[in-house]
Amino acid sequence: MNAVIALCHFCEIHGPRVLFCTQAHHAAEPQHVLDSKGEEYPSTFGHHFHKRPRSSTNESLSSVSSDLTTCSSASSTEHCEACRSFQPGQPGFISNDHEAKISYISSQNPEHPELFTIIRQACIRSLSCENCQGREGPIFFGEDYYGYTLSYMFIIKDTQARGLQRGYSIIVVMMDKIYLLNSWPFLVKHMKSLIDELKSKSNKVYEQEQTQRNQRAERLHREFLSPGDFYRGGVNKPFRALVVLTGDANLFKYLHMRFSWILKAGGNRITEKVLEGPPLEEAVDLDDEEVTEEGFIKVSTKPAVPSSPENPSQSEGHQSEDELEGDEGPVFSSLQHLRAVLGSLNFHDVAYNVLIGNQLIARADCKSTLKSLFKVLKVILPAGCCRIISHSPTYQASWKCNFLGLSTGTELPEHLITSEVYLLLDVISPVNLKQDSNRVVSRTAGPFKGHGISITSSSVVPDKVPTILSRIVTTLNNSDLTPEIVVTVLTTLKEEWMNKVKLLFKFTRAGSHTDEDTEKLLKILQAKVEDKPLLRFWITALSSQYRSHLLTSIMGTT
Amino acid sequence: MSSLEEGSGFGGDERYCVVGSFPQEFHYSQEGHNGEVKVSDSDARPRILLMGLRRSGKSSIQKVVFHKMSPNETLFLESTNKIVKDDINNSSFVQFQIWDFPGQMDFFDPAFDSEMIFGTCEALVYVIDAQDDYMDALAKLHVTVSRAYKVNPNIKFKVFIHKVDGLSDDHKIETQRDIHRRANEDLADAGLECIHLSFYLTSIYDHSIFEAFSKVVQKLIPQLPTLENLLNILISNSGIEKAFLFDVVSKIYIATDSSPVDMQSYELCCDMIDVVIDVSCIYGVEREGDESAYDSESSSIIKLNNSTVLYLKEVNKFLALVCLLREDNFDRQGLIDYNFLCFKKAIEEVFAIREKANGVERGADYAALTSDSLDNTQANGLVATKS
Ligand SMILES: Nc1nc2c(ncn2[C@@H]2O[C@H](COP(=O)(O)OP(=O)(O)OP(=O)(O)O)[C@@H](O)[C@H]2O)c(=O)[nH]1
Ligand SMILES: [Mg+2]
Repeated sequence: MNAVIALCHFCEIHGPRVLFCTQAHHAAEPQHVLDSKGEEYPSTFGHHFHKRPRSSTNESLSSVSSDLTTCSSASSTEHCEACRSFQPGQPGFISNDHEAKISYISSQNPEHPELFTIIRQACIRSLSCENCQGREGPIFFGEDYYGYTLSYMFIIKDTQARGLQRGYSIIVVMMDKIYLLNSWPFLVKHMKSLIDELKSKSNKVYEQEQTQRNQRAERLHREFLSPGDFYRGGVNKPFRALVVLTGDANLFKYLHMRFSWILKAGGNRITEKVLEGPPLEEAVDLDDEEVTEEGFIKVSTKPAVPSSPENPSQSEGHQSEDELEGDEGPVFSSLQHLRAVLGSLNFHDVAYNVLIGNQLIARADCKSTLKSLFKVLKVILPAGCCRIISHSPTYQASWKCNFLGLSTGTELPEHLITSEVYLLLDVISPVNLKQDSNRVVSRTAGPFKGHGISITSSSVVPDKVPTILSRIVTTLNNSDLTPEIVVTVLTTLKEEWMNKVKLLFKFTRAGSHTDEDTEKLLKILQAKVEDKPLLRFWITALSSQYRSHLLTSIMGTT
Repeated sequence: MSSLEEGSGFGGDERYCVVGSFPQEFHYSQEGHNGEVKVSDSDARPRILLMGLRRSGKSSIQKVVFHKMSPNETLFLESTNKIVKDDINNSSFVQFQIWDFPGQMDFFDPAFDSEMIFGTCEALVYVIDAQDDYMDALAKLHVTVSRAYKVNPNIKFKVFIHKVDGLSDDHKIETQRDIHRRANEDLADAGLECIHLSFYLTSIYDHSIFEAFSKVVQKLIPQLPTLENLLNILISNSGIEKAFLFDVVSKIYIATDSSPVDMQSYELCCDMIDVVIDVSCIYGVEREGDESAYDSESSSIIKLNNSTVLYLKEVNKFLALVCLLREDNFDRQGLIDYNFLCFKKAIEEVFAIREKANGVERGADYAALTSDSLDNTQANGLVATKS
């Protein structure tokens, strides 16, 4: 449980004070979280402690394996017996959970200065600000920035205290409100049982002291004899430590044990998983991995046709110089560029077909043109959906590839034209332009100036296109965005929709469900009817390993 | 994809950056427990702050004066751990809030919202334990006063040199002189001569605390000069020596005539109120729906063997007039009674104006008040024909 548990005390001299605090340190915890200026010394699982500069040198650390930090407080001189759990120089406590690689560490105050501030404020608030009905019991307070606190206030009897009792509280501080509130029954139950123990111990001491000398009578009597003298002279030592009040010398060790247990059991009790629980597909499917520029791991596909000269993965990133040699055709540099050349309407058609998995057949004079076209368009599809043959002498079937590059003039088979769904994009060089009739001529300056663009499609683009296409168009319409930013935006967009795809996949495979249920899920995912073709296609992006992983892994409860 | 186990957490996460201070409303919010309407109402009330080092006797003062706690019981008061706000509204004349602070209160704590605390307060009572070494207390007094003054220069500063019951008379005077001198020197050194501190010697074991608190509360009553004037007219026309207008419940006097107050006569009057309340508690006829031992019929005459008469008359639900007069002047009791009725009427008029001013919010109070005064018109008429 990522929480800090602390015992706080309202000292009659110093006001609210943190007495004792336990926290868990994880092996995996990133190191940067602590400021790097401090002196470091490794002592626990991968965790580094910082010794804050202290004025007194005798507080230096001993090398005992169990110790970590001396009782830390910026103002240790200001502590009296009642608000101290460790004597100055005395080490704290540590328990190591070797299996989970977690260390539970107890000290007077948290070592980390910012955490210290948070705990201290929670302590002040718990003892000096918040009102609890009947003074004893649990309350909850906090806000996002400073964290949330579950505070259990209680009273310990003390014959020497002014009101014959003293106020304490146990606080659990967490950044995660939902987690903390969900842990309420558990935490309160165990805090209460611990507090009841403390109280019954201290009650015994109290009763015993009262029978020896009735404080009430005593005080009234004294006041009668010498008014006002009661607290003076230090005879009574009115500020006694909790150890004395409970008559338990090992009290803090015991508290360490109980607090650590609460942290551990509290952590085991609820495992939190984000709703988009499945890991990145790429994290599971590590075959043929290759990290792309965006930091994704690219899943390569087997070349569908042996004759195909290049491996699709090579079309990514840096093209080898030799491939471009002798082929100096115009290239598309970015999606924006492509859109400018095609015109936004044509681009819209192309993108639509690509997104829902219709085969895109491109014909151009130069291989480099084709290659750059696919490279640019790939960005809008998940890696697993891209099966590219960037150049083939003959037509290749759509089950082999959804991006197909052909030389200008290559014939398409009859069955394709009559019965399949495809989109044909011709990039016609100015030389051949005259013979062509239904073409758009690119007028924008650049490598494609004067080229003709022709689009033939067997499908009609509906009025309502997938949400993601509208978002792509909006992104591209924003002329302030550089191509790099566009790629980043599209990558996140893809990731967002891939998560929906994963959820949908898992849902559809996870046993019986009605169509109605599916509709509900789609609604939750904010997927509309027009998104369905896209979802259907994108599911194919999930590799078989990933699918089996998804189906076997258990979705955690939240 | 972070699960809680994996996520980085309390070891120090960016989320912890910049922990400056509490949000403003956090520490000293004005949450009332009685619902919202009440809150705004009580917030509008004048506020008296009780400050001072721990164990100086702040909570004791508040309990003894306003909650009838016996002084011995204060031995078992717990140290105050949060600001305790107490609404004093038994009399419609004296309505205010007392804020009892924990002695450990640190002004330099970012949580301390001095604007909010001093901004709308009327009076600050600083309690010094005279039986203890008071050097620290003086230092804190200086910090408190200068801080409060900066926020709100209209605050009236009252210093209670407290627990003087343990001091001999000589020692008392000496202590007061010393504290007075040092406190003013500190202020002068800081260039704050403009701040005026009033000093009182107090103890919960006698009436001095009531007297001192009376002075504090009187300053909260804007009608004070009118009331004093009325009392002056009353005593000069009735042969009365000294007259106090008391808040019956707390026994603090909210006004007196302009002749000097001596402690003994004040104590006598306090004791008289106790006697009247006690006697009518025990022997009073219990009327339906009215358990209070004090009502419009309440009045009492006590003749002392030094030929002095104590005369108590009810003014309204919460206020009583207690007069001291020589026995030979008391043979004209009719005149005194008549004058008293005039006085009472005048007080009611003062009330009426005030109620009109706060009209809307305190509608209920006002209604209660008018019915009260209707009861009394009959009596008024009677005496008038007699004259
Ligand atoms: N002799 C004497 N003792 C007093 C007087 N007033 C208060 N005390 C005693 O002083 C002690 C402390 O009183 P509190 O009223 O609790 O002190 P406080 O200022 O509220 O203290 P904190 O709440 O800690 O700030 C109690 O034991 C009282 O009995 C007094 O006038 N005379
Ligand atoms: Mg107090």
